[in-house]
Amino acid sequence: MSGKEFFVNRYEMLGWKYEEVALKPAIRINSMNAKEEEVVKRLQSLGVKLEKIPFLEKGYRVSHSEFSVGATTEYLLGYYSIQEAASQIPATLFTDLKDKIVLDACAAPGSKTVQLADLMKNTGAIIALDVKLHRLNALSNQLERCHVKNAIVYNLDARQASKLEMKFDCILLDVPCSGNFSTDKEWFNRRTIRDVEENARRQKEILREAAKVLKDDGEIVYSTCSLEPEENELNIDWAVKNLGFHVEKINCYGEPSPTKIFGKTLDSQIENCRRIWPGKTQGFFVCKLKKDVWV
Amino acid sequence: MKILREFVSRFGASISLNKNLLAKKENRYFLLNEKLKKLVGKNFFYAGVYLGKVKNGKFFPSFNLLSMMAEKRANKIFVDKRSEWLFICGRDIFKQGIIRVIGSKRKGDYALILNDYGECLGFGKILRNLDKIVEGVAIKNISDLGDFLRREKHQF
Repeated sequence: MSGKEFFVNRYEMLGWKYEEVALKPAIRINSMNAKEEEVVKRLQSLGVKLEKIPFLEKGYRVSHSEFSVGATTEYLLGYYSIQEAASQIPATLFTDLKDKIVLDACAAPGSKTVQLADLMKNTGAIIALDVKLHRLNALSNQLERCHVKNAIVYNLDARQASKLEMKFDCILLDVPCSGNFSTDKEWFNRRTIRDVEENARRQKEILREAAKVLKDDGEIVYSTCSLEPEENELNIDWAVKNLGFHVEKINCYGEPSPTKIFGKTLDSQIENCRRIWPGKTQGFFVCKLKKDVWV
Repeated sequence: MKILREFVSRFGASISLNKNLLAKKENRYFLLNEKLKKLVGKNFFYAGVYLGKVKNGKFFPSFNLLSMMAEKRANKIFVDKRSEWLFICGRDIFKQGIIRVIGSKRKGDYALILNDYGECLGFGKILRNLDKIVEGVAIKNISDLGDFLRREKHQF
């Protein structure tokens, strides 16, 4: 069970008609390091054409540039990060990050870790984990370049986060996933339903561990760049039924997730998740979870 | 940390760091804050502000440390737009590209390199007394921000 036809049929069953997409690069201004209007002005003076992304506070699309926006002095000074538009959403969904203890459970290469630090104005603490040692170098470079001061990085699997013996106010679970065709031309040739199921299994293990280390009044934001329901709605339905979470309403770009998937009826809360089909952004899924409180 | 203090002093600068907040991981040095100090475990990979590393008895500063130094009194050389670009591409600085000098102009001294906005781009070594030359290579590039891009290339 693989190939373009197989997956495209699944998307149609979920209500989306397949279309080719051509994504423009996007940047996010790091306001802890520079004023937004000054960075925009400086990039424009270099001939970079930027379009404000309407659903993001600090996000811009690069509609034209004669050179890589990853090679300017402003980039090297950490004034902005190159970050796909949809992936700028998750970190913004936490209610309040200032002075909080935050877990970024699958942090490398670090663009969301930097975004968290920016939203936190370098207060509190971010505990950033990644299981792959070589990816920690990329993460560390991002932290140094962007002058992040409130992060501690560990080479640790998110499924072992309880080894840290800490409880967190906020947990970002931008979990490893199967990805999607809009950022990978070979996606349909490379991926099978087995990969999807294997990723979904690992994501459940990460969710289970996150439930252990989340404070009772804490928040989890879960996201993937997968379009496959096994890694998204079905996993969250499982978390609601097995881990004592409920899905909070969120106000962000994307459409409400379906609650009937491949003949299975999911918990009605699943419609609070947001599914983003490729088009203006890459494909994405995001939701916010809180623990059920029993009085 | 003697090696760091000695490095900073080569710029005619000084820096005061709270010893209790310094953390060392193998050959790398970090500056924590009180909150991170309480939370950090001994197996950390990176924490707080990265200051630099020691290799073969030599100190290699981070760009965070250079930025911290640039906020204080230190040897500083301001360069024009063209020299800025060449410098972050790893090139040396010509006398013609220098706009302004603060501190030492003496051959052999270290200086921070800043652009027109006063942003620190890295550091270099003064090759010839800046008072005495009118053109030619004046500053040897030792470390520049373009290093972030060169590191990325090595990683992937």
